[in-house]
Amino acid sequence: MLSLVLTLAFGLQLSSADASNIPPQKPNVPDGVSALNPGSDLWREVRRRDGVGEFNEVNQGVLVKDLLSEIQRSRQVPQGISQVNQVDSGVMINAKGRRWAAFRMTTLASYSGIALAAIFVIIITFYVVRGKVPIEGGLSGNMVKRFTDYERITHWTLAVVFLLLAITGLILLLGRPLLIPLFGKEAFALLASASKEGHNLFGPLFLVSLIMMLISFARRNIYEKGDLTWLLKGGGLIGKGHASGGFFNMGEKTWYWMVILIGLVISISGLILVSPNFGQGRLIMELMHIVHAVSAMILIVVSVGHMYLGSIGSEGALEGMKTGYVDINWADAHHDRWGKHCHEEDLIVSAEEYARMQGQPADSAEPAMEQGK
Amino acid sequence: MIQYLIDGPLWYFSLAVFFIGVVWQLIAVVFTGNKADLSVPRDSAASGAIKTFFSRFVPHREIAPAIMLPVVAGYMFHLGLFALLFFAAPHVVFLEENLLGFGWTPMPHWAFIVAAQFAFFGLIVLWLRRLVNPVSRLISTLDDHIAAILTFVVMLTGCFALLEGSTGLRLLHRFTVELWLIYFPFSALMHTFTFVPSRMLTGAWFGRRGVDA
Repeated sequence: MLSLVLTLAFGLQLSSADASNIPPQKPNVPDGVSALNPGSDLWREVRRRDGVGEFNEVNQGVLVKDLLSEIQRSRQVPQGISQVNQVDSGVMINAKGRRWAAFRMTTLASYSGIALAAIFVIIITFYVVRGKVPIEGGLSGNMVKRFTDYERITHWTLAVVFLLLAITGLILLLGRPLLIPLFGKEAFALLASASKEGHNLFGPLFLVSLIMMLISFARRNIYEKGDLTWLLKGGGLIGKGHASGGFFNMGEKTWYWMVILIGLVISISGLILVSPNFGQGRLIMELMHIVHAVSAMILIVVSVGHMYLGSIGSEGALEGMKTGYVDINWADAHHDRWGKHCHEEDLIVSAEEYARMQGQPADSAEPAMEQGK
Repeated sequence: MIQYLIDGPLWYFSLAVFFIGVVWQLIAVVFTGNKADLSVPRDSAASGAIKTFFSRFVPHREIAPAIMLPVVAGYMFHLGLFALLFFAAPHVVFLEENLLGFGWTPMPHWAFIVAAQFAFFGLIVLWLRRLVNPVSRLISTLDDHIAAILTFVVMLTGCFALLEGSTGLRLLHRFTVELWLIYFPFSALMHTFTFVPSRMLTGAWFGRRGVDA
């Protein structure tokens, strides 16, 4: 009741602030009432928005453009008057919020689900058709150092934090349509609450890991001569023979810069969302949510491909991030320019020496050598 | 029923296992004894013990660059966890109402979040180093991995229950804490208490022999 009174009072205040909006008085209207239907006029004033869309699918581009122009407009058009001196406290109803909610609940959720399902279908199909890509000549057992402990810890820290954020983020985004039918509303509420807290807590750790990643790997990921050839050969999928690559090939470099740049966008938009006390209003939060969710979905979808190629998709690839060493035949096959450098600089470690360094008995190196024969 | 079990009997059982187990282990360490050192002491054992106890908080200059990452991560994790355990508002209230009968000023919420992030980051880095470094991997036992994972799970369920609005999440956190308390005395987690006598004993031995290390 009190809120109704306050709403009406607020609306009346707004109505009186802009006399041009008051419709002309009709002769048959009783004394003291300035409009035929004062309720609807008051409501329109309280909403302060026209042409609010229905709760249907909304195009992302249109919504983003709309939000940007609305942010611009909100700086010029005065808000309502309120004793509470906070951002957006003069806006009683954020009518554009319904469009954002519609986008988040329908368009964003459905396209994200489709993208995620599609990448799994593509990878499974690829694996069935192509299988694990073998190394020409098999494994030699002779190894070459590829990554230091620090680099591998940096990579895996980012991976662990990213996975935690991806899982909790997907629960929040897709949980309603996918998990409520499975677990019920009560269990999902529990899961969503836990995911939200976990997501907010781990978010800043992603930014820290990203900066560590930038410092550790940036120099070797600068594009160089020969990278374009890799691209033209489709990473070896087009034409005959392997595509030439340095320490990192063109595909890996592109993935690295995607992680850094999209990761920064996700981190900054996430920090804006998680700290609503720095003067950003609802419109900016809505815009940041869209930016955050869309960028995160791009990274999640591409990361599934990265995980596949770095593990079951390519023979000998996981070793580099597991032990820091890779088979020299793998280096020659996938990174021939770097492999050539390893041969020239005599950086190759024998199978026996490698086994000793890994704390294994020397004869444990034999199966790998046998396999390579 | 589950709530009764977790808030009641299982809580008291885990506390009993924790306290009796820790005291039992420490007594066992004290009574294990050492062979009498018959050599003529070159220097004071007591000063050696104290010196070593404090000097080991900082890595030796010669090896510092090689172990900087685990040292920094170790401090982040241990200080973060200490702050969370004893200065997080829900823990202060819990300790006051259930164990101690008195409380102290808790951290503000923002400090709570920062401490949790430090602790999580430190623990993840330390555990990954255990997995990727060949020497650490070789000397790690199953117990080390269980202790790290269990501690991570306790912290994770704690962070899930941050809103303090759900009985289910609070019970989940408390249940994992109870498992952790039961596992504690029989695991590498005992280093919480044993690192002090261990360091001091080594320091006393060094001091008596005049070793400056």
